[in-house]
Amino acid sequence: MPLSTFLGLETTLRGILAQQLALDVTGHNIANANTIGYSRQTAVMAPTDAYTVPGVTRPPQAGQLGTGVDVQSYQRMRDEFLDIQYRAQSMRQGSAQAAQDGLRQIEVAFNEPSDNGLNSQLQSYWASWHDVSNAPENLATRQALAQNAASLANGFQSLATQLQTVQTQVGQNVNDTISQVNAIGSQITQLTAAITADEVTGDKPNDLLDERDVLIDQLSKLGNISVTVGALDTIDITIGGATLVSGGAPQAAIAEADMTSLTSGKLNGLIGLRDTTIPGYQTSLNNLASTLITQTNAVHMGGFDLAGNLGGAFFNGTDAATISVNAALLTTPALIAASANGQPGNAGNALAMADMQQVAQAGLGGATIDTAYSQLVTQLGSDVRDATQTTDNANILSGSLDDKRQSVSGVSLDEEMTNLVKFQRGYQASSRALSAMDDMIDQLINRTGRVGL
Amino acid sequence: MSARITQNMLSLDLHNVTDKLSRTQRKISSGKELTAPSDDPFAASQALMLRQNVALDQQYQRNVAEAQSWQSVTDTALSNVTDAVLRVRDLVVQGASDTLGPQGRQAIANEVTQLIDSVKSAGNSQYAGRYVFSGSATLTQPYQLGANDAYGGNAEVVKREIGPGVQVDLNTVGQSTFGDDTSGLLKTLRDIVTDLNSGNTAALGNADLKAIDVAHDAVVNCRSVVGALSNRLDSAMSRLQQLQDASAKQLSDTEDADMAKTLVDFSTQQAVYQSALRAGANIIQPSLMDFLSG
Repeated sequence: MPLSTFLGLETTLRGILAQQLALDVTGHNIANANTIGYSRQTAVMAPTDAYTVPGVTRPPQAGQLGTGVDVQSYQRMRDEFLDIQYRAQSMRQGSAQAAQDGLRQIEVAFNEPSDNGLNSQLQSYWASWHDVSNAPENLATRQALAQNAASLANGFQSLATQLQTVQTQVGQNVNDTISQVNAIGSQITQLTAAITADEVTGDKPNDLLDERDVLIDQLSKLGNISVTVGALDTIDITIGGATLVSGGAPQAAIAEADMTSLTSGKLNGLIGLRDTTIPGYQTSLNNLASTLITQTNAVHMGGFDLAGNLGGAFFNGTDAATISVNAALLTTPALIAASANGQPGNAGNALAMADMQQVAQAGLGGATIDTAYSQLVTQLGSDVRDATQTTDNANILSGSLDDKRQSVSGVSLDEEMTNLVKFQRGYQASSRALSAMDDMIDQLINRTGRVGL
Repeated sequence: MSARITQNMLSLDLHNVTDKLSRTQRKISSGKELTAPSDDPFAASQALMLRQNVALDQQYQRNVAEAQSWQSVTDTALSNVTDAVLRVRDLVVQGASDTLGPQGRQAIANEVTQLIDSVKSAGNSQYAGRYVFSGSATLTQPYQLGANDAYGGNAEVVKREIGPGVQVDLNTVGQSTFGDDTSGLLKTLRDIVTDLNSGNTAALGNADLKAIDVAHDAVVNCRSVVGALSNRLDSAMSRLQQLQDASAKQLSDTEDADMAKTLVDFSTQQAVYQSALRAGANIIQPSLMDFLSG
């Protein structure tokens, strides 16, 4: 029976080596237990090719003799389907979070309901006209009116400025985010080149693949991406319809205009805020201011000041950013046209101004100035609420999907400790088998044929 | 397959709990249920409307108070004039008597002349620097003391708003109440002086007496109009106060935090937070490593 004396030694050696490799993998898992995006790995062990013992006459032999074990590959535990689900939530979350952050800033700027928001300033303004109607001859009440009108104008201006500021910041943020997208894109391209180079040789670069998946996760927060993995783990990624990564070949940096079908992600949230939501608020606020300016001036120019002369403009400017009180009225409040006929005791014009609070304005869709402002605030509140709820919702979903992913890919220290024990025992047992073989061969070499010596 | 629990799954959702805690804390420190429109957009719009209502009701109350003061000045002046007219009537009855000599009538004429000035002084009554009987020419003194009885004001009605779209005629026009050099009370008084000076007892006893009675009725009539308006203003004031109270209560219901409920919420959330922390500490603690030796 031609079988090598040392076959058993080789078999147990393979066992020792394989257990050691598995221990190394366990050590790698434990070391990376807290590494973001790390997928646990396992050493895939398989029996080595069996040895068919040649017989002089076949087949009285027992059959094939096993020759031990070999680590065939290191497998990365990952469920691509969970990745796709997680990234879909991540896109939603990115969009809603971006909208929420910007809208919260605007909400703070409006500062409603409070005693110093625009609503209160409007109330003080109307009240001042009533006060003037009570004492149209009195310069002090006229001065108070001019001051309250000036602070109302300031209120409009400061809101317009804040909206403008938030819009500019959001625009800057869009540019920064696009730079980030391009940076991630070129990192993925480089990684993919390295991955493909490894795979050509038959290796599976698990850690590089993990690194790439982390980058794709980050990318999914920024825009709606579509990922196609090809042979040898090459990858094509489009974001908002623009090709960001195509295999391992470097791509030109994408610009905002390239993303023609942006539907979610941070970029979508930011661009929606910049191009739709904030301009909507600006239009409403400007409508409000311009209606106030034109209606007030029309009434004011039809009235008479304390000296019996026709009134001039009350407000200057055309919208919320430019509205201001005619400077002459602030220095000479007698010029305020409170009278409807030039008599100092007549307060007809002041009453018409005060009553403007109740007048439905065609320019505001039939709402009064007060209610149009309330509508704007309510709209803002609903928008913030919607964005917050979507964010919370997406956070919960992406959190639970991430838990699922962690359940598949994450490192369980208890499990690794168990593996440690298992492979250590395997190593010990293989070593023991080796010494048993050694004893046996020792018997053969050193003791055989020494009868009588 | 049961889920593997791995190292990075210790998401205890503490963020959520702390976020709730900080919102409740904000409610407690501000005393407001609504700290931003997004807390409850519908309630926020209601709060804005109610604030508008409260402000407007307060303003209308100021308008009414202002009108009441004006009315009280008017009423005082009219009361003085009534007294003067009654005194003139007594004097006319005296002057009509034939027993009085020219000197006696002269003395009475002098007193009536004084009373004319006192009527005109009443007509020049001011409220906060404004002549209440001058129509809308409130900065023009309606009567000059002395011989000139011309009326310097106009006949325009001054209006005040005491409710949405509700305006009242505030002023009593001097010309129609006290007359001027061609008609009315002042003309009657001047005629009486002339008749006293000329000893025209027939006119004094008949035409002048009738005229002074007519003038007296006119002033009394004016006072009753002023009184009626005062009553209307009083009832408007109490109605506005009720409206404001109702709006303010509604505003408080919408906007203010229910402290008892908020504090209970706070304690509950704090308990949840502590339990979450405790649970987290207990999950993290044991591991297989604690039980393996060597």
